[in-house]
Amino acid sequence: MRVAHSLYGRLLAWLALPLLSLGALLLLQAGWQAKATADRAHDRLLDAASLAIAEQVQWQDGRLWLDLPPAALEMLAGDAEERVFYSLVDQQGRHITGNAELPAHPGADAESGDTLLYRDLEWQGLALRQGVRRSRLEDWRNRERFEVRVAHTREGRDALRQALLRGNLAGILGMGALAVASLLLAVRAALKPLTRLRHAIRARDPRTLVPLELSLPRELAELREALNELLVRMRRVRANQERFIGDASHQLRTPLAGISARAELALRDTDPEAWRDALTTIQATSERTARLAMQLLSLTRLDNPEYQATHRPLDLNACVRRAVRDHWTSCRQAGVDLGAECAEGEVAVNGTEWQLEEALANLIDNARRYGARRITLATLRSPPRLVVEDDGPGIAPERRLLALRPFHRGRDDGEGSGLGLAIVDGIARTHRARLTLDAGAEGGGLRVELRFAEPSP
Amino acid sequence: MTPRRLARLTALIALWVLSALAHAQQSLHLPAAEGAGTPRPLVIHAALDLPQARPLLAAFQRRHPEVAVTYHNLTTLDLHERFLAHPDAADVVISSAMPWQFALANAGHARPLGGHITDAWPAWARWRDELVAFTFEPIVMVVHQELTNIAEVPRNHAELLTLLEERREALTGRVATYDPVVSGVGRTYAMEESRLSPRYWDLVAALGAAEAKLVATTGEMLDGLEDGSLLIGYNLLGSYALPRVEAHPDLALVVPDDYALVTQRVAFVPRQAPHPETGTRFVAFLLSEAGQRVIAKQTSLGALHPGVTGPGSAAALRKRLEDALRPPGLGPGLLAGLDRLKRQALLARWRREFRRAQPSAPSTAE
Repeated sequence: MRVAHSLYGRLLAWLALPLLSLGALLLLQAGWQAKATADRAHDRLLDAASLAIAEQVQWQDGRLWLDLPPAALEMLAGDAEERVFYSLVDQQGRHITGNAELPAHPGADAESGDTLLYRDLEWQGLALRQGVRRSRLEDWRNRERFEVRVAHTREGRDALRQALLRGNLAGILGMGALAVASLLLAVRAALKPLTRLRHAIRARDPRTLVPLELSLPRELAELREALNELLVRMRRVRANQERFIGDASHQLRTPLAGISARAELALRDTDPEAWRDALTTIQATSERTARLAMQLLSLTRLDNPEYQATHRPLDLNACVRRAVRDHWTSCRQAGVDLGAECAEGEVAVNGTEWQLEEALANLIDNARRYGARRITLATLRSPPRLVVEDDGPGIAPERRLLALRPFHRGRDDGEGSGLGLAIVDGIARTHRARLTLDAGAEGGGLRVELRFAEPSP
Repeated sequence: MTPRRLARLTALIALWVLSALAHAQQSLHLPAAEGAGTPRPLVIHAALDLPQARPLLAAFQRRHPEVAVTYHNLTTLDLHERFLAHPDAADVVISSAMPWQFALANAGHARPLGGHITDAWPAWARWRDELVAFTFEPIVMVVHQELTNIAEVPRNHAELLTLLEERREALTGRVATYDPVVSGVGRTYAMEESRLSPRYWDLVAALGAAEAKLVATTGEMLDGLEDGSLLIGYNLLGSYALPRVEAHPDLALVVPDDYALVTQRVAFVPRQAPHPETGTRFVAFLLSEAGQRVIAKQTSLGALHPGVTGPGSAAALRKRLEDALRPPGLGPGLLAGLDRLKRQALLARWRREFRRAQPSAPSTAE
């Protein structure tokens, strides 16, 4: 069904369907009416002829007598030269005279004295219209009942019916054609703005994101507005991306320039000890740069709207324990107290293990960088939550939302990349978890909470 | 084969030949011409005497030499009964008994002629493209020369009535007309005339008073007129009377100038005709200008085709008699003539009127 896939076809089908059924009904009605009209016109002949015959019926020599008027038969034949049949039948149903023994009519007598009945009849292979007149003698001595049955072929009626029908048919078909033509034009005209919109969209430079300026009917104007809103959002996204790229390249260039300068300095020196120092510095810087590049990569991956995470049921407590195990040594060396407070049993969520580990690593790293001396990881249930709390300087409430943007740093001391919280935010989003930043329990520090949805059973 | 059996066979053959000969008087077989392709049979049942039919058949065969014609001439009554018994025997049925022909067509026994009737054909001589009248034969009076010794030759019905009333004695027993009781043709004329003229019954009474001879055929009347036993023949079929009047110097033909009945040969192709195509072709020939010319020139039937004028055509007769001619018209009114009660009523009236002024026993004794 191609029609169902086209707006044009669908409109046309829904408009044409009632139109056509109406046309069919009209045709049926016209056919019925034409027959009724033709019958009415020609039944008068039966009426007049049977009356002319009935008037000539008399009582003579103890029996019914008829002086058949030839004009009655001429009248019955009409202009169409119908075949004519007549018969006179007495009270007992005996055929008195006539050129055919026409059958009786099953209809009942009318209330008034004179009964006239009509019907269509198939008789000896001929299609006839029969008229039966029941009457009685107008003789004061004898009131015997009798029946005059007349019939003629239906050719005149059929011709008249067809002529009437042809006239009606021409009218109905003309109207139908006009209606269908105007329907086609109307639907085409109504869908014209759609074509204009399509052309306007197609003609656009793919790089421009300026709103569409096009006058359209209301229904399509809504579509245009929706499209423009999308364009605005896309513009904002692109601006973000451009800034991110700029920031990222800047971030990568700085350590690389440092490495280059350090290597140049060391090369001027001849002391192997100085070389060794330089190499150590270069190694540390390149490690940091590699880490930065890794973070950028994962952030890009998380930001990609096409990325479909494949979550599996996992235990938050296991995640927390693994993070503590992984980071405990380095924290201890740096003099940071890393602890965990797990809820009892299992805290089950749907998630991706490496992402949650990455988020925890970023949060621990962040806290360390900003000078926390104690970091506590915790899990809570109903709803499942993952909490990282530290006793660092914290973030002022008005800056908390800004802190989630990439390359935003609480301090400008060149230590952190400014990507940690942005990555955590991205991971929270892929897990459909809510990320909240808050002050710590004692009023200082930072408390980061990831609130997950209850896993569906 | 024993001689006895041989003799019996010879006798049988002789009998068959004889009966065939006897039959041949009423029938005609015209074989197809040699080398004209496969013969196409055509069977015609007609109430039309051979002298009139022969030129038509010959002219038809000249145009269609491949047609083998079998022609049977029958009386109108025989024809009708034979058709009802065997509606599939003939390809063309021709008769002057118009009511019967009409009744057959009305009952659906006729086949449409497929538009072979030209539009110029008079509407009163055709019905439904099924039935068509193709001749025009006035009903006439024939008088013997001896009548001029008694009175003037009557020119119309009124003068005939006057003559019969005034010269009854002289004409007693010397007038003849059809007997409507035994002759269907006579009955048809009586019915037509009673419709046309209210004075018809006076004329019947006058005929009765003159003790008119009642006969069954035009031939009988012509026989009586030729031998001089009759002076006036009333209501003779003009087409049959004309050749004999022309051959006999003492006879004169009078077409009444007040009103003249007209009879017509009516043809149709039966629905169950064995060779309807050939039958239709023959009827088409009868209606064609060529066929009508043959009717006008070589027969005494009277051509009806509007394109045929001159002697022997309806047009010429009409010119002479203007609107006195009363062709009955092919229509359902003809059926009234077949109505049982109407026929009985007519005959009863006719008998009554015929005897009304008849000299009773005492008056003849005078």
